[in-house]
Amino acid sequence: MSNRNYNIYFHTHTVSGIVISVVLFVIFFAGSFSFFRDEIINWERSESTAITKEIQLDYNTALDTLNKKYILHGRNITISKPSTERRVAVYMEGTKDTLAPAKQKEGQFFYLDTKNFKTFTYEESYSLGEFLYRLHFLAQVPYPVGYYLSGFVALFFLFAIITGVLLHWKKIVSNFYVFRPKEKLKTLWTDAHTALGMIGLPFQFVYAVTGAFFMIKLLIVAPAVMALYKGDQDKLYKELEYTDPDYKFDNKKLATPFNMDQLVAKAKSNWSDFEITRVFIQNYGDANMHVLVEGEIPNHKKFTGVGKVIYRISDGKEIAKKNPITQTNYLDVVKNVLYRIHYGDYGGYALKIVSFILGIITCFVIISGVMIWLVARQKNNMPEKKRRFNAAVVRIYLAICLSMYPITALAFIVTKIFYPLTQNNLYTIYFVGWLILTVFFIFKKNDAFTNKFCLISGSILGFLIPITNGIVSGKWFWTSFMQNKIQVFVIDVFWIVLASISLYVAYHLKAKKESAAEK
Amino acid sequence: MPANPKYLTQSKWQRFAKITAAILGGYFVSVTFHLALASWFNRANILMTMAFSGFILWVVLMVVAFLAKSGWKIWGIYILLTLIFSLFIYLGQTYNPTAQ
Repeated sequence: MSNRNYNIYFHTHTVSGIVISVVLFVIFFAGSFSFFRDEIINWERSESTAITKEIQLDYNTALDTLNKKYILHGRNITISKPSTERRVAVYMEGTKDTLAPAKQKEGQFFYLDTKNFKTFTYEESYSLGEFLYRLHFLAQVPYPVGYYLSGFVALFFLFAIITGVLLHWKKIVSNFYVFRPKEKLKTLWTDAHTALGMIGLPFQFVYAVTGAFFMIKLLIVAPAVMALYKGDQDKLYKELEYTDPDYKFDNKKLATPFNMDQLVAKAKSNWSDFEITRVFIQNYGDANMHVLVEGEIPNHKKFTGVGKVIYRISDGKEIAKKNPITQTNYLDVVKNVLYRIHYGDYGGYALKIVSFILGIITCFVIISGVMIWLVARQKNNMPEKKRRFNAAVVRIYLAICLSMYPITALAFIVTKIFYPLTQNNLYTIYFVGWLILTVFFIFKKNDAFTNKFCLISGSILGFLIPITNGIVSGKWFWTSFMQNKIQVFVIDVFWIVLASISLYVAYHLKAKKESAAEK
Repeated sequence: MPANPKYLTQSKWQRFAKITAAILGGYFVSVTFHLALASWFNRANILMTMAFSGFILWVVLMVVAFLAKSGWKIWGIYILLTLIFSLFIYLGQTYNPTAQ
């Protein structure tokens, strides 16, 4: 590698990295917690549910209940399970019956409790798990700014990864074994940045690529629609097998009775281990009523195995069928893999924990990168003004990033005590609290203090989380363990472990900071 | 130690050309390249592949643009490639029936 190329990689890596750093930290920090989104949702509600992607619902009772409330006749209804919780998502289109009253022509979206059949609007069902999950792609920033911002940050993260690897290429093996924490501060940061960056490389590469795809896929979809499909995006989605077949509304009452539970059970019995994940009913109660039952083979049996059966209700015939074992094509594989490897939900808790650790490691790589940037620019030959500016930039960066830890812990406690906390209140507590802490640290002007304060306060709040849960719900983590309330137990223990580690780190750092400060 | 400025682009215009070539030019080349392939071969599969390879190629082209000696030259190359691929898309659309 020529000196020129080396310096170009170096400079582009630095610039792209420093520009995206804060946003990327927020994405990775919130994203790491999002691996436990479903657990957080259950924990907050003091509920627990079987760990399966399959919808566990008494369909007949559910549809009867909904029919009384909304009149289902002539509607298209989708029942799906976006996360492992007791509630399933129900989306109903307005009825196709033109003579029906206006109320029935309105579409509806809500969550349905599979145990007591209560319905909840999106806002009523909002939770801390959902909040952290959405924060990790900046959904709280008005659409589409947040989505595009996070998408481009993912794209430039990929750029920073590739330039970082090229830059580090020659020393990839030798430097991996180098860690000199006792040396001066700069080497500590550099060694940590490169070694941990290498360990996290495959993980980060996957998240950068899939993250960019999720958020800015429009940039590749739009030209494809324009150039290859004459501007008709429905054709593209149809060819990529995203669309369900559409059946016409006959406007005649269905003569035969139907039993949805039996139908779903029949679809399920087609293949062993087949798990139902989505039920799509078209033209409910109409002569041309059709039901699409979709499901998949569990990931550990077959990584990509999506199948479906479509039934015509009037004569009970199977119209179409897709075998999840023999009929998975390349499109299914790509669609499935892009999501699975991003969500990390195919390997149980072991994979979730490893993913969380790698996510936090990435946060550390980001912070150490910012610190290298600063330390490399605090030389005596730099003008005083510039040095002060750089220090201020890093102070603000650290204040924003590190204060996420105590604020997240605090949000857990508050949501538990004031359950159900509304979306607005959660926003207020999280964002206002975050802002206050950040401003406080900026005025305090002491990076070591920021770091220590955040780690210690985060740890204390972290320890208080299972205690709060024990007091408020009466379910201490050992009782939830014995009652097999797995999600509640996982979050309580997760916080005890996390708080212990961060407390250990906070006190362990003490000695080192002082010796490093005198470099 | 920050990068040695001796090796970095000093001229403002050159820098502007390189940055725009990297972000815009790289995007055009990556997209037209994939669409050209898609219009001649298995359309659905190539478009699906583009979901990840489109972004990877884009970023690789960004790196290449920064390595270029002249920002204008790399813009020229990227525009030329975009035009060639666009021609392939056009021909592909004429000779192969489009999606129904």
